[in-house]
Amino acid sequence: MRRVTSLAIVLSLVTAGIVALLLDSEVSGTGAENVGESGPEHTDASRTCEATDSNPGGTNNYIPDAPARTSLGSGFVITGQVRAVDGCAPLEGVRVQVWLATETGGERDNRASVRTGPDGRYRIETDPTIPQFGEPNIHVGYDDGDYGEVFIRRVVDLDDERAVVNLTLARRD
Amino acid sequence: MTDRGVVAIALAIVAVPLVIALTDPHLSGASTALVVSTATGAIAAGALGLQPLLAAGRRIARHQLLGAIVLALVLVHVGALVIESPGDAWFAMSPDGPTRARMALIATIALVLAVALGVLRGRLRWHPTTWRALHAYLAVVVIALGLGHALLTDGALDGAGTAVLVALMALGLLGVPAAHLARARLRR
Repeated sequence: MRRVTSLAIVLSLVTAGIVALLLDSEVSGTGAENVGESGPEHTDASRTCEATDSNPGGTNNYIPDAPARTSLGSGFVITGQVRAVDGCAPLEGVRVQVWLATETGGERDNRASVRTGPDGRYRIETDPTIPQFGEPNIHVGYDDGDYGEVFIRRVVDLDDERAVVNLTLARRD
Repeated sequence: MTDRGVVAIALAIVAVPLVIALTDPHLSGASTALVVSTATGAIAAGALGLQPLLAAGRRIARHQLLGAIVLALVLVHVGALVIESPGDAWFAMSPDGPTRARMALIATIALVLAVALGVLRGRLRWHPTTWRALHAYLAVVVIALGLGHALLTDGALDGAGTAVLVALMALGLLGVPAAHLARARLRR
């Protein structure tokens, strides 16, 4: 009887530990919120004037200086607005790098640099992202020195048409 | 049932998720590493559903062989993902990785322990009840979290694959108490 009781206690504790470990994780990985959208594009981005934080996994498969490109295919759009922490003003001419896995290649093959327009927006069309590691995800990064670097990893749903990633950058002193 | 019959049914069950995965458009144009990782994962999913039934049917030699095969499949599955993209693979296994990867990690640890218990059964001078309870507990963890990992993973086992994974999970989880009942009846 004592054997059964102690086994039950030990296995209950182990189960509690497993549940705690699972609850401690984030469904798509730390900080990887779902930024997928469908339907008409809108520009009423939620204004955040706090600096955008990098999140874990943001630099996965990053290769500096992605080639400037206007398109990585068609069927999916990565877009967003880039602002400065200081004054929350849209930033024009900022180079944003994106990379993602699509049917034509992995994250190290599908990469591009795009620049923001006068309204601080960038936009690039790509082939739809595919879930090579269990969930479709995209990367957006800024690494040009004028502002603090930002590397982020976000997820979308398979049937989304668009990923919206806004960045708020803090000027380097 | 004849041994040949058991093997035939086992192969048929394992073939279902494998065929669904390999014919899914998700793998069209995929690298060899991704195909290998998907195939090994799909075979292991089928095998996990079968494992307790082999124990329930007192096919212990087959059960031990399949246990070793599942462990090998899981190691190849992870190895292929590391080859596919080391950064993504290590990130997935890190404390910041997604829930589905953490489920896989815990299931793998439980699988290693379950196989180790099997290998050491003769040498561990434990009470048979202790050994069986621990082995069964680890089996439940492996089946629930291993197949749960497959369910949460977008890829080649979506759609019909999801239904097959749920069926395999039910088969495996119900097989554990079935194995205990079979054993209890044997002792009577």
